[in-house]
Amino acid sequence: MVTYDISLEGMFFSFFLLIIPVLISYYLDLKLISSTLESALRMVLQLLLVGVFLTFVFDLNNPVLNIVWVLVMVFVASHTVLKNAELKTQNLLPLLTIFMAVTNYTMLLYFNKFIIDLTDLFDARYFIPIAGMVLGNSLKANVIGMDNFCNEIQRNENRYLFRLSMGAEKIEALVPYLRKSIRVALKPTIANMATIGIVFLPGMMTGQILAGASPLVAIKYQIAIMLAIYVTTMVNVLLGVFVLIYRGFDEYGMFKKEMLRSS
Amino acid sequence: MGLLDIQNLSVSYDGKSILSDFNFSILKGEKILIKGNSGIGKSTLFRMIMGFGKYNSGEIYLEGVPVDADNIWDIRKKVAYVSQDTDIAEGKVSDLIDEVFSFKANRNNNGKSDLEKLLNRLSLSPDLVNKEYMKLSGGEKQRVVLVLALLSGKDIFLLDEVTSELDTGLKQKVVDIFFDNPQWTVLAISHDREWETKAMKVIDFSGRVN
Repeated sequence: MVTYDISLEGMFFSFFLLIIPVLISYYLDLKLISSTLESALRMVLQLLLVGVFLTFVFDLNNPVLNIVWVLVMVFVASHTVLKNAELKTQNLLPLLTIFMAVTNYTMLLYFNKFIIDLTDLFDARYFIPIAGMVLGNSLKANVIGMDNFCNEIQRNENRYLFRLSMGAEKIEALVPYLRKSIRVALKPTIANMATIGIVFLPGMMTGQILAGASPLVAIKYQIAIMLAIYVTTMVNVLLGVFVLIYRGFDEYGMFKKEMLRSS
Repeated sequence: MGLLDIQNLSVSYDGKSILSDFNFSILKGEKILIKGNSGIGKSTLFRMIMGFGKYNSGEIYLEGVPVDADNIWDIRKKVAYVSQDTDIAEGKVSDLIDEVFSFKANRNNNGKSDLEKLLNRLSLSPDLVNKEYMKLSGGEKQRVVLVLALLSGKDIFLLDEVTSELDTGLKQKVVDIFFDNPQWTVLAISHDREWETKAMKVIDFSGRVN
């Protein structure tokens, strides 16, 4: 089976679709036109660069380079999480990057060793795309989790202060917020897992089938990757909120509002 | 030196002065009422004592120990602070009580055995604990929070408008509970005259110029 290449004309038609969000944004005054176009442009440039770069990485297939590239991915993901959760990066980025790197490398090695049983655990063809899928999902959940934690602690600050007044340690007083953020952050992933295959065909499965793999192989990969995504996402969200608990409060246990971008 | 000493305390937020050069002292066992219009720094004073906000200058001492980052966690375990904001929990009242008693600092506290007695004394039915906290009336919430503060086993109380939503009879009951124990040190903010009649000292913030 051959995957059909997309012609230049076909790519044009794919961009043509952007007219719809631009028109909707214009008529409803959503102020999304420039960010839509900017994001689309960024996507094109990034994918072009990554396309060139990955061809090079895959040809070389050097373990050190693969590991470093995943670290770059983790760094960018951590940065994006903080930016989208409206947090300043300086205090939180190093710790979040370290935490996310540890969970993601561990999961990748586990996946390649025990699930796929690869001889070369750092094989670029597996190491990098799987890292991308796991990270991409963790990223979304982490934005929700960290954003929710910061919002709740501000909106319901009195509940936190009440617990402190009742003799709670910082962590004891924050557990309810932690619980809530994790639950909220994991909801989309749980819903995804429950409806997969029926409501939507995930990208990886579609990709594998398009590339000619049998649907059964594609399904096995999909199941394994969903489970890996779920576990990594949960651990990453937990660690993300821990970074906030550890770095986001002053020595009196008060939330540092100066961490927020809006301050 | 008193039990709580405040020296030259100045607090300002966004350039607006809330408290300036405030001095205050309370002895063990004293019951003092703070009154005055809203928005003139009464609640701020309590928040400063609990370490819930930063002050610009001055000093606060509790039992001679400065209220600073090192000591604040111990101070919070000694002082029962009841804020006027009663939106403090979700879920059932019993979950709230269990949570408070699950904190490390309260695990050895057997005050919970007095729960029923206290509920009764404040005219709350014992099955109130099975209700959703957020569905209680304002007056019921105030009493639940007071019950928690009273069960804490602490003997220093900072009470911020804790009787505002109670009827006269209940206001008197609450005031009596706090005044009947000679060991307890009570600093209360209130507009209710039940406090004013019994208070040993009244500090009126209205006359203060900030």
